[in-house]
Amino acid sequence: MFLTRSEYDRGVNTFSPEGRLFQVEYAIEAIKLGSTAIGICTSQGVVLAVEKRITSSLMEPTTIEKIVEVDKHIGCAVSGLIADSRTMIDKARIECQNHWFVYNEKMTVESCAQAVSNLAIQFGDSDDDGAAMSRPFGVAILFAGIDEKGPQLYHMDPSGTFVQFDAKAIGSGSEGAQQSLQEVYHKSMTLEEATTSALTILKQVMEEKLNSSNVEVMTMTPNKLFHMFTKEQVEEVIGRLSVEHPVSLNVGGSQKV
Amino acid sequence: MSSVLCPEIPSPGFSFENCHRNAMLEAKGLAMPKAQKTGTTIVGIIYKDGVILGADTRATEDTTVADKNCEKIHYLAPNMYCCGAGTAADTEMTTQMVASQLELHRLYTNRVARVATAKQILKQYLFRYQGYIGAALVLGGVDSTGPHLYSIHPHGSTDKLPYCTMGSGSLAAIAVFESRWKENMDEAEGIQLVRDAIAAGIFNDLGSGSNVDVCIIRKGSVDYKRTYDEANKKGEKQNSYKYAKGTTAVLTTKVVDIEEVAVRSIDLERMDTA
Amino acid sequence: MSLALRPSFPDYESVSKHNNFNPYSDNGGSVVAIAGDDFVVVGADTRLSAGFSIYTREQSKLFPLSANTVLGCSGCWCDTLTLTRILKSRMQMYQQEHNKTMSTTACAQMLSIILYYKRFFPYYISNMLVGLDDEGKGCVYSYDPVGHCERRTFRASGSAGALLQPLLDNQIGKKNMLNAKEEPVSKEAALSILKDVFISAAERDIYTGDSILINIITKDGTTEETFQLRRD
Repeated sequence: MFLTRSEYDRGVNTFSPEGRLFQVEYAIEAIKLGSTAIGICTSQGVVLAVEKRITSSLMEPTTIEKIVEVDKHIGCAVSGLIADSRTMIDKARIECQNHWFVYNEKMTVESCAQAVSNLAIQFGDSDDDGAAMSRPFGVAILFAGIDEKGPQLYHMDPSGTFVQFDAKAIGSGSEGAQQSLQEVYHKSMTLEEATTSALTILKQVMEEKLNSSNVEVMTMTPNKLFHMFTKEQVEEVIGRLSVEHPVSLNVGGSQKV
Repeated sequence: MSSVLCPEIPSPGFSFENCHRNAMLEAKGLAMPKAQKTGTTIVGIIYKDGVILGADTRATEDTTVADKNCEKIHYLAPNMYCCGAGTAADTEMTTQMVASQLELHRLYTNRVARVATAKQILKQYLFRYQGYIGAALVLGGVDSTGPHLYSIHPHGSTDKLPYCTMGSGSLAAIAVFESRWKENMDEAEGIQLVRDAIAAGIFNDLGSGSNVDVCIIRKGSVDYKRTYDEANKKGEKQNSYKYAKGTTAVLTTKVVDIEEVAVRSIDLERMDTA
Repeated sequence: MSLALRPSFPDYESVSKHNNFNPYSDNGGSVVAIAGDDFVVVGADTRLSAGFSIYTREQSKLFPLSANTVLGCSGCWCDTLTLTRILKSRMQMYQQEHNKTMSTTACAQMLSIILYYKRFFPYYISNMLVGLDDEGKGCVYSYDPVGHCERRTFRASGSAGALLQPLLDNQIGKKNMLNAKEEPVSKEAALSILKDVFISAAERDIYTGDSILINIITKDGTTEETFQLRRD
């Protein structure tokens, strides 16, 4: 007897009898292997924090880029196959520039996510001169941006589905982190609170010990727009962690009584 | 002998001395000045007692109106008038020249000049210049042989017709004549028809506009009705555009003291009567 | 004898004449727009003509693109028809893609891009885009046929544009006047000046006349008005 999956999990264009697209589901699984990234949206702005996996002491940590600027008012955190993410970020950047060129205005965060989503679902397309894409992108993206509707956070998965969130975690530690976010988040959160919460949660889900070279932090505020934290700024936030959050958070199943 | 004070009388006719120079300049790309054209509606009909001529009063320079109330019905002789369309200067000068020739003709012959005579002078003159004199004319008059109406084209061809139109509005005007002209119309009916033909040109041809001039020529009398009908009323402005005193900037002022102006008295010299 | 003086005899011409096809026609028309602090008025005459003939006396040359954006066009009418259809569809696509109505400023930039896209076979149109900007202020964008765009507070374009602009410069811009204070123009004043300049244009420009269609845009929406001009 065949495993139900093996017959239908080859092509991205074939539904299984249960109505599933396994390649897409596998891609969603793939992003659960990626490094953890957290985004929190407050009324003052959005904060993104990601873990950088330094797998070797010979690695140069600054060359791992997981938070990128798409436009002055939109930043992205990615998790999953970083090489794939480059294509999508390129698309987002081009769309934002094109929107500015044609309409002389900032592209909205939602429209930017929509544009990237349009690219993400092209894995099923094929044209006359061969297949356009062989598989879905193995990337999850957090879009943090500010437009006329204020600070916003969007999440997109490999299927191209994008949803707006108040706070969202992606990557390997996302399950536990998401639960923690649920407990910590409240509407009147300040950006500073959000930043410390993000790092606190990140700290708890990371395997390595959190320090200023294995995390990236970025804020999106109406004044400064895209702002990447310097090493010193990250250290300052890390310094606050233990003081402000003495109570240990309930982090998934790993918590011990 | 000629001098600056007493120049030689120029030889009659056109001067062509600049033609070669102008052709050379034009070939080098100099734009020659354009003559003012009267994109026009001119008409004439024969009615029971004579001839009625009509014209609009717009003169254009390309797409702008140069003159809103110009005269296009020209005097030729006491019993003859001529409407002109085309190059304004050509129609003006040609009719003036023919008018003088007809007057001389009248003095020589001591007779009222015939319309056919004027027609012949005009067509021979225009033919000589091969269309370069841009005058399209409607000639009408009454002489001993009755009423006559001619249309004369810039190249010198003529038509003798009971009703005719010329100019850029000729199609609009002829349409009115074709549908309504008949023989032996009375004067009021004729004038109304001419007015309507000109009005058709005024409203439907962009080269024609403003008012209707009408000239009625009967045996022994002429009725020149300048601005017979004001076809278009000028729009009424909503604001006043009078400027307050002192609005125009005075750039420099110079006051000359009257005392400084030298007044020199000259002793009168007695006239030499010796 | 030089060529320029030789009369032409078309029947005996030995060389065939090469007639260049001209894809453009000039159908005339004038557009005038005046913007104020919280309104903008735009007027266009309704005469459509070619050469010495009138095609129609009642052709609107104003195209509403959204609740607070109107485009005024004069020049080649067939180009106007095509351009306005493209704009209409682009407005709808934007609405559907971005879930909002395109602002006047965005529309102004888009029009510039659409025009420049045809840099070497342009739409032969004098465009004037008017509306309210993001702060609710009246704005007038004027274009050349290949996409140069400039924001102004008042502008005259089309066949009588060169005739009217100096008048607006003086009456609204208060240019060349001593002791004239520059104050924002009121809606009523703008409307009466607009009508008066068209009366003057109809006097001297053969392509301007019949009537004007006026759009008045405020935060409450667009209202329409017509005004008769001379018809000769």
